Amino acid sequence: MPQSIQTFRLDNGLSVVVESMPHLRSAAWTLLVAAGSATDPDGQSGAAQVLNGMVYRGAGERDARQLSNALDDLGVQRGGGVGVEYTTLSGALLADDLENALALYADIVRRPQLPEAELDAERALALQAVQSLNDNPTQRLFVELGKAYFPGPFGRSTLGEVEELQRIDHGSLQRDHAARYRPEGGVLAVAGGVEPERVREIAERLFGDWQDAPPMPPQPQVRTEPFYQHLPQDTNQTQIAVAYPSLALAEPDYYHERLALNVLSGGMASRLFTEVRTKRGLVYSVFAAPRVYRSLGLVLGYAGTQPDRAQECIEVLLDTLQRISEGVTQEELDRARTGLLAALVMQGESTGARAGAMASDLFLIGRPRSLDEIRGAIDGVTRESLNAYLAQHPPHDFAVLTLGPSPVEVASAV
Amino acid sequence: MRYDQHVLPNGLTIVGEYNEDAQSMAVGFFTRTGSRDETPEISGVSHFLEHMMFKGSERRSAEEVDLEFDAMGARYNAFTSEENTVYYGAVLPEFQERLIDLLTDMLRPSLRQDDFDTEKKVILEEIAMYKDRPQFTVYVFARETYHHGHPLGNSVLGSTESITALERDQMLAYFRRRYAPNNMVVVLTGKYDWDAAVKQIEQTCGGWEQGDASRTITQPDALELERMQPDSKRDRVYLAAVAPAPSAQDATRYAAEVLAEALGGGEGSRLYWALVHPGLADSANMDYSGEDGAGAFYVYASCDPERTTEVIDLIRATLATAQNDGLSDDQIARARRKLASALVLRAETPMGRLVTVGFDYVYRKRIEPLNESVDRLLAVTNEDVAALLHERAFEKLTLVGYGPLAEAS
Repeated sequence: MPQSIQTFRLDNGLSVVVESMPHLRSAAWTLLVAAGSATDPDGQSGAAQVLNGMVYRGAGERDARQLSNALDDLGVQRGGGVGVEYTTLSGALLADDLENALALYADIVRRPQLPEAELDAERALALQAVQSLNDNPTQRLFVELGKAYFPGPFGRSTLGEVEELQRIDHGSLQRDHAARYRPEGGVLAVAGGVEPERVREIAERLFGDWQDAPPMPPQPQVRTEPFYQHLPQDTNQTQIAVAYPSLALAEPDYYHERLALNVLSGGMASRLFTEVRTKRGLVYSVFAAPRVYRSLGLVLGYAGTQPDRAQECIEVLLDTLQRISEGVTQEELDRARTGLLAALVMQGESTGARAGAMASDLFLIGRPRSLDEIRGAIDGVTRESLNAYLAQHPPHDFAVLTLGPSPVEVASAV
Repeated sequence: MRYDQHVLPNGLTIVGEYNEDAQSMAVGFFTRTGSRDETPEISGVSHFLEHMMFKGSERRSAEEVDLEFDAMGARYNAFTSEENTVYYGAVLPEFQERLIDLLTDMLRPSLRQDDFDTEKKVILEEIAMYKDRPQFTVYVFARETYHHGHPLGNSVLGSTESITALERDQMLAYFRRRYAPNNMVVVLTGKYDWDAAVKQIEQTCGGWEQGDASRTITQPDALELERMQPDSKRDRVYLAAVAPAPSAQDATRYAAEVLAEALGGGEGSRLYWALVHPGLADSANMDYSGEDGAGAFYVYASCDPERTTEVIDLIRATLATAQNDGLSDDQIARARRKLASALVLRAETPMGRLVTVGFDYVYRKRIEPLNESVDRLLAVTNEDVAALLHERAFEKLTLVGYGPLAEAS
């Protein structure tokens, strides 16, 4: 059945995008506000995280318990969280109750009570999340890689920092909410058994008189020379992470990058899995994945292995990544294409996945991509065009981070 | 929705839940085997064998298995638990025949020695990886302590020692014993072609030989005890509490699900208000796990080391209060509503529905239609939950802790 996506833009700058999936009884939404760790007030890293927790502690006329009960009465499956560029407040439920749920979320995002008495409890949760990082070495590795790759605000941990979380007080929290939970540049994406016009009416009524724009995020600063850093920790596996530049979604060659990445790390026949795991048994987990921001993109690679094999593992990992510049075979490209398209069709069966993908598209490029558009773009990549692109744009400027009992040698060539 | 079922003469059962509106179809081979069916000498063999199934057959090399999955653009994987091993894939309907061909071929593996030796290294890496995850360590510790010798406490991964010592011939013998067609169920969901699937599975699996793959069902003997496993390398303390619950075959399992949701189903649950909302613990959850002839409630929490005693006391108090005073009608209503909506949302995709449908059949020999499951959940009353609480399961609480604990108790 053909996809039915409609986009509306409210006068206040909030985009509303709806995909109607009429055979479903369920519906999901993602409400995105442009408040992420990159725009946390200076000296208050973690402010978006604390704010996102606080808005659920009472909103409109309801205190925390009444609000939670009201959401549970509707059977809302709650989701969302804080990223670098934005915060999402998402949920899913039976489609009949969507309007009531969105009314509660209008209170949560626009009229939170932000009770002063509960700030310390929320801060305690945020501090515990930071203090859990040593017990979650892979998560710690990627937090540190972000800081090393983006020297400025873009590299901040979304979890915040212990000393800076301590600086958040009730006044700063209220100011932060007033400044950053604003409609301009935000998105309400809805997918499921819903009528697009009806969703538009609901959005107008609940969000139409919301005003103003959040502060613009700073332009990301990227460390442009390759580097290697080791974090000593007494772990069972050495954790290896690598980041290198790729493209933003809006750039014309984006799908060349995306397909090349699928050749490297799609299914079990992809190059990284084959070289690092299947042939050599060096790891359980190895992957490379895209990370896309509004103005740039990068690739994040990972492998975890026991310390005595870390040197071999990092050499195979980096060598496999670099050799993509020598080109791909027609069979590899065909598999990458089939894999991406099948994943998109299957994503199209899930209301939550569709709402999330549309919200992300609206934020990143200002419009939703349809399945047909993506299929066309993917079909436009040939083996010749991809190999020419890869020869001209080999993976470069690797930022490498390891975590474990001892460092490895990383060739200066990277 | 339409429900299909067919049993081959050798006992292999094929079941399906057809959904005309789906864009994809999923296939799963559910094998009734896991770590509870292992002896100590072969600890971890079920999970290791699951990995080996991807290493090829008479017809395919390991590389060819991977290539075939990826050529279809399949979403695929496998998992092993204490009592089930499941191999599954989801594809666009045009690839149904190829997916079934691949899965049926994989499940008669060659178990080549060189593949076995390489994959053993992967398993040892997986064991090392989980040693760096304290949430997993406390899960294994809790199951082992609660079951104290009962096979449901067996580790799925096995140990570095048991995997290192394991030989190919031991795995082959285990495979022959457990992967009999009468111990397996093929499950289809989504937009599939039933007649074609049955015909194809009959042709490829009809010759598989039946065997005695039975399992001894006994009840674990729940004990009230507390055990601590100190580890100064951790920054935080990880707690688990386990108590007896209805089995997967028990009609009161819906009441058990509602009770676990009301007490520990995340935000809005009693453990959430007692521990997470005030910031005393950064997580506190409760699950109900219905197993073959047994079952248990599992509570998990993590906290600052200095709050350990306080958090343990609050977990105990939350469970005791529920047991003594019961729950309110409102709490029951919200819990069943949340569970029902989660069930409906999971059913959006054939892949999401596959495991629910598969375990329905594996445990209860009947697929329960989605609407019936929703109705049964919504029909759970406060009296049903009170009857469950009346058994006073939380008096037999096994409580364990892992992390930087001052002293072992």
